[in-house]
Amino acid sequence: MIFNTENLRDNIKVQTFLGNFTVLLIYKIFFYSPDSFILSILNEILVILTVVTLILFLSDAVHSRRINPLSMVMNVGILNAVIFFMITFSGTLMGGFSEISNGTSGNPGILFSLISFLYSFVIIGSLAYIFLVFKELFFLKQKKNVSTYFNTMVVFFMLASLTSVLKKVPDLGYIRDTFFIISILLIVINSIKISWIAFIIKKEKISLLVLSVIISILFVVNIINGAQSDSYSQTMIQFSAGLNQFFKIMMVYGAIYFSILFFTTLFHIPTAEAFDRKAQEVNFLQYFSKLITESLDFKDLAETVTDITTKVCDAHASWIIWKDGDDFKSIANKNIGYYDSNIITRFILQNLQRKSGEGTMVFNLNRFENKSQLSEEFFNIAVASLKAHNELKGFLVAARKVNLNFDDEDTNAMDTFSDYASVAIENSKLLEESIEKERLEKELDVAREIQRKILPSKNPEYENLTISSVFIPAFEVGGDYYDFFEIDDNKFGFVIADVSGKGISAAFIMAEVKGIFESLSKTIESPKEILIKANEILERTLDRKNFVSAAYGVLDFNKEVLRVARAGHCPIILLRNNIAENLRPSGIGLGLNFSRHFADTLEETEIKLKDEDTIVLYTDGITEAKNSALEDFGDKYFEEILLDNYEKSVSEISNKVIHAVTLFSQNNPQHDDITLVILKWKQKLNIDGEKEWQNLAPQLKK
Amino acid sequence: MAEFSTSVKEVGDINVVYLKGYLDAHTAPVLENTLSNLIDYKKYSIVVNFKELAYISSAGLGVFMAFIEKIRENSGDIKLSSMSDKVFNIFDLLGFPLLYEIFKSEEEAVTKFSETKKLEDR
Repeated sequence: MIFNTENLRDNIKVQTFLGNFTVLLIYKIFFYSPDSFILSILNEILVILTVVTLILFLSDAVHSRRINPLSMVMNVGILNAVIFFMITFSGTLMGGFSEISNGTSGNPGILFSLISFLYSFVIIGSLAYIFLVFKELFFLKQKKNVSTYFNTMVVFFMLASLTSVLKKVPDLGYIRDTFFIISILLIVINSIKISWIAFIIKKEKISLLVLSVIISILFVVNIINGAQSDSYSQTMIQFSAGLNQFFKIMMVYGAIYFSILFFTTLFHIPTAEAFDRKAQEVNFLQYFSKLITESLDFKDLAETVTDITTKVCDAHASWIIWKDGDDFKSIANKNIGYYDSNIITRFILQNLQRKSGEGTMVFNLNRFENKSQLSEEFFNIAVASLKAHNELKGFLVAARKVNLNFDDEDTNAMDTFSDYASVAIENSKLLEESIEKERLEKELDVAREIQRKILPSKNPEYENLTISSVFIPAFEVGGDYYDFFEIDDNKFGFVIADVSGKGISAAFIMAEVKGIFESLSKTIESPKEILIKANEILERTLDRKNFVSAAYGVLDFNKEVLRVARAGHCPIILLRNNIAENLRPSGIGLGLNFSRHFADTLEETEIKLKDEDTIVLYTDGITEAKNSALEDFGDKYFEEILLDNYEKSVSEISNKVIHAVTLFSQNNPQHDDITLVILKWKQKLNIDGEKEWQNLAPQLKK
Repeated sequence: MAEFSTSVKEVGDINVVYLKGYLDAHTAPVLENTLSNLIDYKKYSIVVNFKELAYISSAGLGVFMAFIEKIRENSGDIKLSSMSDKVFNIFDLLGFPLLYEIFKSEEEAVTKFSETKKLEDR
């Protein structure tokens, strides 16, 4: 034995053991004589101390390792075999040495003492380990505090061993025998409480069954051998009678314990499989509930569900039939192709009404006429419904490739598991939705911010043109856009547009449209040409399903004319002499057509402006504003309000309209952006009070 | 939320798509699905019946634009029919009558298809 003294410095247990060991060794070699009663008592005490300290030293080592009962049993078996050989060859071993020693002197010499000491010590070591294993096995998986039983037994072991010194006094032999018998009784009582067998898996149980037979036989053989072999018992008794007694007790303990272990294991074998399965099921459910909180991805989750399903109900394949609107489709296929799963899914859906019972349904595919279409042969399927809030979400399917029906236990397992799976799947869906919702809200914030920055921050001011603009964004950015362009001192341009779609994509198109009009308004004068050019530019970037309705106008202060072109936008309303005229030159929306057709059909209207002419630009957010009965605000009502107020200032008119729209749609959320731009033309007055007809440049007020 | 649904009826080679309810940005994918399904099955002669459509938004209009190119490339067409005045007004404002054939009734649209077919066959 090699000890690293560095580590041992603090270890009192090792030190006491080594101290005892040395004292015993010295005592044995130099002082011991079996004839003196006092000396033999001292001998026994030293031996017991050595054994006890050794056990204390080893107990930490045995206990600190993660306990695997099967490997401990194996170790006992090996040590038992060692003891077996020690006993069997004790004659050759000890006999040879004793002859040599006897030859030289008449008494056992130092060499012999040393050899027998080492021999005994190997036995002590083995017994100490075996004892510790018994202790570990005894306490393994014990739910109640049973240490009293064990401690009592140990006390009786010590008493039985100690009293064996009295063998030399024949009258007192009954004391030793009494303690020995009580020890054996306690062993029997304590061995019955083996509770750890239930917790090992079936395979381990079977190997344990074999091992326990071999080991219990070994123990019995060792008892008999130990009693019969003269050289062995002589060596032992000479070394210490107590140790010999302890040896016997341990061997009896082993024989009893392993015999009982054998029978207990035997009785556990038939239920082993069921127990294994339950344990596995519990494990899976635990694993799964952990997964629910960790994995938020629907796809991952669905795949785990089918994976576990195959294991829980011993199936070869599994998949989920997921309800998608009115459709059912198979997802998360495990060990089965989509082709096969779709065929079987159809079969299940057809036969579902026939079996309307609660819980898992079992189908046999033998009567399935399309069975031959399957690329692999499936015989039995079990189907459990996945429900959330009493609403059917889909089905969980397990399939077997062997003609073995799903029994109650399988369906029960599937019931339990499908319940778990339903909750998990529902949770992941809800989470996905709420994440999506949050993302959308963030996106809309961005979109609104873009829109706010794109729209003009204030209206331009002219001496003979008053302008008002109102913009009310919808929650989901509607894509309304309007802008003013101070082209030069004589010309004022304006645009109003509505991008199809909503949200961030509409906001981006809006930004692009602004860029296009901003640059085109500087270089091209004709509204028609601007719209044609804008359509050409948009062809490169616009998605086929997106389009932009727009109206562009230019007001010439000198000529006092308004020229407008319209690409699919709402008409421009001209209020003049208590009449609302819809200016509606022909034109297709931007992005709807990129052929010559677009230019060919686009018209431009020119209007000679008169004093108090009021031009109204709007988007369909006004006319399509809805009340709680989902009726439209409508063109008629819009015109009525405009005509009722056309003599008022632009901001007053605009207030009236917005007020009416708000009142009309107060019980219905606003779905689209509302844009209302009103321009009013005021002819300049001459000094003498007459209207000025000359082409005078308007002066910016600034 | 307003509801929207579609259904498809086959009239010979022609597929008539019936729209019902409110067609806006939220319900547009339903119609997108229906149309792309038809295209998957190489059904390029499509009549859309608007009779029961209560409302159409710009996103709803965009759906037709998304497919028309592909359909016309395959010498098919989408013809529109049976619109209420309100729905027609929305199409009209955007200039759709310049891009699509719009008919008062489904029958007229179907007949138009058959006539063009005869012309081509000749």
